[in-house]
Parts: sequence; C-alpha cells; structure tokens
Amino acid sequence: MTSSEQRLHPASILFDIARYARMFAWPALLAFFGVGRQTMGSGRYDFDVSRIEVWLWVLLVPSVALSLARYFTFRIDYTADALVIRSGIVFKNVRHVPYARIQNLDAVRNPFHRALGVVEVRVETGGGGGEPEARLKVLPESAVADMRARVFAGRAAVAPSARAGAEPAALAVGDPARGVDDGAAADADAGTAAEGVTLLHLPIKELLLCGFLENRGMVLVGAAYGALWQMGLQDRVWSWLFSTNIDARDVARGVVLALMGREPLSLPLVAMGLGGVAAFLLLVRLISMVWAFVRLYDFRLTRHGDDLRVQFGFFTQVAATIPLRRIQSVTVQRGWLHRWLGRAAVRVETAGGRAGAATRDREWVAPLIREHDLPALLAQVLPGVDVAAAEWHGVHPRAFRRAVKPVLLVAVIPSVVALSLLGWRALLLVVPVLAWMVVRTRQHVRHLSWAAGDDLVAFRSGWFNRHDTLVRTSRIQAVTTTASPFDRRAAMAGLRVDTAGAGEVSHRIDVPYLAADLAARVREQLARRAAHTTFRW
Amino acid sequence: MDNETGVPAPQPVDPRFMIVRRTALRFTVAVGAGVTLLVLLIVFAAADELPGWGRAGLGTLWLVAVAAGVRAGGRWPAREHAHLRYALSDEALCIWSGVYWRRAIEVPRSRVQHTDVSQGPLERRHGLGTLVVYTAGTDHARVALPGLAHEVALALRDDLRQDHRDDIV
Repeated sequence: MTSSEQRLHPASILFDIARYARMFAWPALLAFFGVGRQTMGSGRYDFDVSRIEVWLWVLLVPSVALSLARYFTFRIDYTADALVIRSGIVFKNVRHVPYARIQNLDAVRNPFHRALGVVEVRVETGGGGGEPEARLKVLPESAVADMRARVFAGRAAVAPSARAGAEPAALAVGDPARGVDDGAAADADAGTAAEGVTLLHLPIKELLLCGFLENRGMVLVGAAYGALWQMGLQDRVWSWLFSTNIDARDVARGVVLALMGREPLSLPLVAMGLGGVAAFLLLVRLISMVWAFVRLYDFRLTRHGDDLRVQFGFFTQVAATIPLRRIQSVTVQRGWLHRWLGRAAVRVETAGGRAGAATRDREWVAPLIREHDLPALLAQVLPGVDVAAAEWHGVHPRAFRRAVKPVLLVAVIPSVVALSLLGWRALLLVVPVLAWMVVRTRQHVRHLSWAAGDDLVAFRSGWFNRHDTLVRTSRIQAVTTTASPFDRRAAMAGLRVDTAGAGEVSHRIDVPYLAADLAARVREQLARRAAHTTFRW
Repeated sequence: MDNETGVPAPQPVDPRFMIVRRTALRFTVAVGAGVTLLVLLIVFAAADELPGWGRAGLGTLWLVAVAAGVRAGGRWPAREHAHLRYALSDEALCIWSGVYWRRAIEVPRSRVQHTDVSQGPLERRHGLGTLVVYTAGTDHARVALPGLAHEVALALRDDLRQDHRDDIV
C-alpha cells in the first residue's frame, strides 16, 4: 500500500530455522544414535554418514524454504485506525487489528534476540482464542518504539469518544500496562482489606446447610477410596469395617441373594438393608457438611467500588477479587432441597481483564443464600439490571412432541435388542425405562423458560436441579439460531448466546424448541441491542 | 432490499463459490478413491485365499462408493450455495449456513475484535476470498464467511472496520 509497509527483521529467517531445528532435534538425535549403534563395532565415529546427510536435507531444506517464504511474504502496515498484517504463501491472509482493540503490545527478548538487537512482539486484543492475535517474529528494536507510537497515536484519535463509554468500570484505553497493574494491585490487597460493603456472610449454621445441600460427600468418599486403593490398603479397611460388625456382611449377602431370587426376602433383612443404605447416605451428607465447613469457613462476599471480593477457608484461606466488568454470566442454581428450604447458590463466570492471557474462571459469589436476599445480591452483581422485571416465557407449546421423538427413536434399538434377547420378560425392563424417559422429557420441556429484556437475557432449565443463567446484553458476543432436521419438521429452532470465557460444562444460554420465526426475531433483537453497547475487557 | 424491520435481506455469496467447492470436493473424492484403491490392491495382493467373487464384490463396492462420491460432489456445492447467505446491517453481520443442520450466526458490529480476509489457492484462482471475523466469544471466537468475491470481502471488511471509529462508544 503506502511507504509505511514494513518487513520483519532479516534475522527472522534465522529464528525461524532455529525453531524448526528445535522441532526436529529429537527425531534427528534418535536417527543419529540409531544409525550410530548399527555400525558401532568398528569405532565410535564409524557410522553411515550419508544417511545423516539425507536426514538433514530432508528436514532442513523445507524449513529453510518455508522460513524464507515466510520472511518475504510477511508484511506489516499501519492504516489510520488499524494494524494490518499480511501473511501466507499459498493461503494468503490479510488481518486487520484495530488500534482501539489492542490490549497489549508485549515485547519479548531472550538473549539471542538481545544479541541481534531484535524483538518478538505479541499483539493481543483479548479475542476468544487465548492466543495472541499476532506474533511478529522478529522486528528490529527501533520498529517496536515506532509501532507503539503509531498504535497509541491511532488510539488517541479514537479514545476521546471511547472514554465517554457507558461502562463504569471500563479499562482505560490509554495505557496497556494499567490492566496488569490494576489486577495485580487488587489481588495483592484483597486479603488485607476489611472495609467495603459486606454483601453476604455465611454463619456456621448456613455453612453446614450448604454442605448438606451440596452433597459432595460421595466425591470425597470416592476420592478416599481411590487413595486407599492406590496404597493397597482397601482390603484391610474392608476387613476392619466388617470384622467389627459381622452382621453387616450377613446383611449385605442376604440382600444380594434375595435380590437375585435365591432366598426369600425376610422383613428384618429388608429393614436392615434399608437402614444401612440410609446410614450410608447420612454419613455421606455429614462428610459433605464437614468439608463445606472446612472449605468455606467464614465465607464473606464484599463489594469494594467496582470489585467483588470473596474470602473463605479454614485451613486454606482464599481471597479472590472479581472485578464486576469481568463477570460474563451469572448462574443461580437451586436443587429441589434448595427450593424446599428457600435457598439458592450463585456462581459467576469471568473472563479476560488481566492484559495478556485471557483468564477464565467460574467462581462462587454465594454458595448459599436465602431466596429473599437473592434480588439484592443480583442487583449488586448485575448493576443496573432489573432481574425481577424479566418476562419469562415457556418454550413452544408442541415442544414435548418435538423433544420426545428423537428420544424414542434412540430408545428403539436397545429395546428391540432387549426384547429379542430376553423375550417378553424384557418388557418389565423396557416399559418402565421408556415411561421414565417420556416423563423426564415432559418435565424437562415443561421447566424450560427464557427471557430477553433490554439489558438482560436469561435461560432457566432443570426439573429437580434448576439453573437460571443471566447474561447482560453488553456481554453478548454472538447470537445464533440452529435448526436440526427434527427442528425444521416442527418449524422450531434453538437460540444460543455466546459469551466470553464460557465453560464447556457450565449452564449457558441455549434455549431449545422455540418457534423458528420467534427465534430469528429474538436473535435479531439481541444482536441489535448488543450492538448498541460496548464490550470491553 | 429492506424488509419491514429495516434489516437488509439475506444475500447469496458469489456463484463461483460452487466452482471452488466442487473442485475441492472432487479433489477430496479423488484422494479418498486413490487411498481406498491402494488399500484394496494391497488386500488383493496379500489375501491369496480371497475367492474371485469376493474380489469382484469389493471392486464393485469401491466403484459404487466412488460413483456416489462423485455424484454427491457434483450436487452438494449447489445446495451449500443455496443455503449460504449473509447480511450486513447497521448493527450486525449475520451469516446463514447449513444444508441439513441450519445455523444463523449474528455478530454485533461492536463485538468484532479484528478481521481477516484470506485467500486459498483455489479461491485466488477464481477471485474469491473468505472474510473471517473474530469475537471475544467462546464458541464463535472465529466466524468465517467463505465464497465472497474478493472485492466484496474487502468492502465488507472495510465497512465493518469503519464502524470502530464511529461506534466505539
């Protein structure tokens, strides 16, 4: 384009070749010694030289060619508002990175770089990939200062309007280093700061209840059993457990035999069996309570300006800072016991912020909270959003019919197999399982609901274990509608909202079984609303 | 062009997309056919006890599979093209795609982090390009729109970029 177009430093070729050489070093060494050993008999250096040369040619020539090609095709250019990077030999690519989006210009120099007076520059915008958006390997040292100047000059032109942004906690655009300092400083004094507004404090009673509801005891029992097994102690533990209580073994054997139909089931046996199961379940819950007490002891959530801070722990004390602007989504979880006791648990997903590596996390802001305190907490976590005003809608009226078809279709194969193997007796198994699947699907569909307001999109699902996920419009990255062949037959579609830092397994906004035209309308609406807000790390 | 909501109507991508896809699919089918043929020949050479009808059967199967591949490769691009649409409104870029599993991705303009316009060798030969839009999202951190005339891809890119200056607030 213009005269501002730049190449990389010629030393790039060297660094590139060095990188390939490192990649090949291990196989090359193997080949070297492999060949060496074959002809070891007649002396240490008496190996087949020609074969090593072949290896070197095979590995080095393409890498040198690639490095040269890369060097000659890689160009950097500065337009008025963006950094432009051209690359590629066969597959050509032109990347535009707007100055306003650049979070970080990292200059990396190892001793080799220093010796040659060059720098590797990493340009980061905090995109979803986690990798830097551009790696410039390598530039002359003088070019980095030039790049900084151009980027910040370009940014200053945009900055005045950016500063007027609606986000209260927006990261200042001026200085990329500030992001680091902010995060580090906030983390450093998180443990000491005691002032700030306390939003939630869990007394011991609530902690124990939290442990009871969370019911993580089974995980601990499993872990403990795994550890014992690892150490080869599980036989001893079993024999210790059952030699002190000889009855237990008899009970267990009795129950198993009875279940297999070998012996008639006697009432005392049943009672003892059930009692044993109940005792075990209770024990598991007790362990969970102790664990919650130790882990979450003195749980305290406070707000300091635009940061939330959580502190907890008996032995391991944790103090974490969650800047409000990093919160991408909020999930409220209520199991059936939670609902019965009027409690809920709140978790947030955070992403980005710390300039450089885009961090992502799921963090508790409230392991347990009373239902009537929840609105106040949500108002703090999602400032300016009226969660109570959200209008919840169910999914399509015919959603159950749509949902049950694939379930039954999938169930046909194992049912047929079971029937052909076991004969009519299999009905005893097949009918209840099918009935359960139908009921489950029915309840699943019935408990789906969603809301899309001006500054909030929300999705609720779950029959026994209910999850509400709330996302501010300003955190929406992309909105999609999808329609499988099943959906299209029923004129339905699913609606999904993509956010930064969403976990693989976490509850996300993914509303199935909407009328296709409604889904499209909501998609357009959400995208339009999101377009009028700013997203900033 | 505009419907009642003020959103531009979905536009098809360049018809040359079909040529590029057809060539790419043909190439894939050819490679697949070559590899399977090689395997088949090795099997024939190695398995001495394989009867003649077995060889004939396997050979026919291979022919049928290759024929089906060629046929599908000929028809699929047109169907892909028919379902690939895009619209760039004042607020968002929307891309529709998928023949059986349909999908529409809508990326608000203000969420575009940076953009690529890339050209593979086939695309370059036919003057096409792919616009790639990057967001800070998780599933859609990278959203690609293939099959655009290169000038159109560049124009869309500039249109999206222009936006950063005016709409940054």
